[in-house]
Amino acid sequence: MEPAERLQAARARVPRVDPYGFERPADFDYAAYEEFFSTYLVILTKRAIKWSRLLKGGGAVRRSATVKRYVRKGIPLEHRARVWMAVSGAQAQMDQNPGYYHRLLQGEGSSCLEEAIRTDLNRTFPDNVRFRKTAEPCLQKTLYNVLLAYGMHNQGVGYCQGMNFIAGYLILITKNEEESFWLLDALVGRILPDYYSPAMLGLKTDQEVLAELVRLKMPAVAALMEGHGVLWTLVVSRWFICLFVDILPVETVLRIWDCLFNEGSKILFRVALTLIKQHQTFILEATSVPDICDRFKQITRGSFVTECHTFMQKIFSEPGSLSMTTITRLRESRRAALLAQG
Amino acid sequence: DKSTGPPRSWRPLRERTERPPVMSRKKTPKCKGGSVPAASALPAANGPRPVRPGTAHPGPEAPPNGPPQFGRPSLGGGGDFYDVAFKVMLVGDSGVGKTCLLVRFKDGAFLAGTFISTVGIDFRNKVLDVDGVKVKLQIWDTAGQERFRSVTHAYYRDAHALLLLYDVTNKASFDNIQAWLTEIQEYAQHNVVLMLLGNKVDSAHERVVKREDGEKLAKEYGLPFMETSAKSGLNVDLAFTAIAKELKQRSTKASSEPRFRLHEYVKNEGQGSSCCRS
Repeated sequence: MEPAERLQAARARVPRVDPYGFERPADFDYAAYEEFFSTYLVILTKRAIKWSRLLKGGGAVRRSATVKRYVRKGIPLEHRARVWMAVSGAQAQMDQNPGYYHRLLQGEGSSCLEEAIRTDLNRTFPDNVRFRKTAEPCLQKTLYNVLLAYGMHNQGVGYCQGMNFIAGYLILITKNEEESFWLLDALVGRILPDYYSPAMLGLKTDQEVLAELVRLKMPAVAALMEGHGVLWTLVVSRWFICLFVDILPVETVLRIWDCLFNEGSKILFRVALTLIKQHQTFILEATSVPDICDRFKQITRGSFVTECHTFMQKIFSEPGSLSMTTITRLRESRRAALLAQG
Repeated sequence: DKSTGPPRSWRPLRERTERPPVMSRKKTPKCKGGSVPAASALPAANGPRPVRPGTAHPGPEAPPNGPPQFGRPSLGGGGDFYDVAFKVMLVGDSGVGKTCLLVRFKDGAFLAGTFISTVGIDFRNKVLDVDGVKVKLQIWDTAGQERFRSVTHAYYRDAHALLLLYDVTNKASFDNIQAWLTEIQEYAQHNVVLMLLGNKVDSAHERVVKREDGEKLAKEYGLPFMETSAKSGLNVDLAFTAIAKELKQRSTKASSEPRFRLHEYVKNEGQGSSCCRS
């Protein structure tokens, strides 16, 4: 078949809307996707069988070496919500606090919080058919509830832009408001260190930690950034705030989140470092600040990130060793430095 | 305190534009850790890094907040030819239409319901022809939510111009303008070109901020002011063109040309503006 015919055939076979409700972008590479997916389908099938065996009997999923290995290879969509709930501790929280979520929604609201959330409802996944105003059921209302309840629950954070995208993904995967709330709480309240509170200190700290890790592992890239006076926040703040939502392909984000829920925020550094290391030469060719920004956008696209299974293997090999001790030490020193700066 | 406006000593723009564009470097970014002032990191041509603009173009034409980049017409970072480049930042509350305004200007389009909330900071380039000079605007789009200001204000100091937006259908966004001005005064260069824009005037039925209110506030602070609509395109190109003209004039010495007067230009050219009233 000619490439044009092959493309047309792939277009006909691959649905315009993905399994999560996202419309494929106009420049979506149908042929490349189909080629990847035919291989990935084999892996998915194999993993589905393994997981069914592991979860047989319906008992609780406990964090273990086996579960960690399994999670790194991807949680099948049908088990994803249940496993996220279990390994993140969200299920335990939900069980210990029956009715809490609904009480939050019935409580006295805050007009400021409501307004901030409402501003972003139409601006959360306009490319997803389930978030359209016309969708039935429309997930905008669900999103509103989850974000409002969370803002009431964690008043120190309230609502921070970026949480809309995270809660949106949780809703698409769990299809359950209350579970989405507890998973959001697991992320914002426990897994991520203070990214969304008004001072955003945890976010700033982690950006600095990434800068330091790049300095250690890829000094040439660090030198490029310093030479052009580019602050890391310019190129990576969205990576951290949105946990790669709307930056990497959906399937890849979900695979990252599998590990994020099970292993913690360290995974975000692994992903960031892998993206940078893999494209080091390309980044180093940048000659200006806009050029650097542009290249940091480009490295989040293409087959390297679409082929999520290989990508996830890479994040555990490419960046080299990354102990939690190192991360903790770096976080402490960077945080202290930021606080000293005022 | 965010509720207080800039002190009265804050010079209005009209006065500032009367002076030559070179001023004290009081707010020049500190060069620490080997970083160069970000201003010199303006888009480089292909090939070697640009000569430090300070050396390449000495003299009074360089505004302190970032020498604009001059040079041979060259392939810039955005892949387009230009003679001089400036940084413009869009600021204002969440949801006032900063991204929409930028997309309308950049692509001439308004696609309702396709915009996502801006998280962090992003930029787009556009090259304008200003009286035969190719002016490249590097436009930085920022998240409006208050907590992101601590992330984005690091970029204020490199901006040559700021477009401060409110939404005429949202009173709170108008009330916050003073807080934004305080923020700008603290972090931006003191001679930054500043313009106030009341956006979303297409939503006539939902309007809660009168044009007169915007005009009054603008007058109080000596700011050029226009009402815009990213949806209809009203005054959008004009706002950016006015900024480009002002910046271009500040960066060149061509005294033979008639002086460009930003306030008058905006007042006279702006559609639906109160040109006949004083």
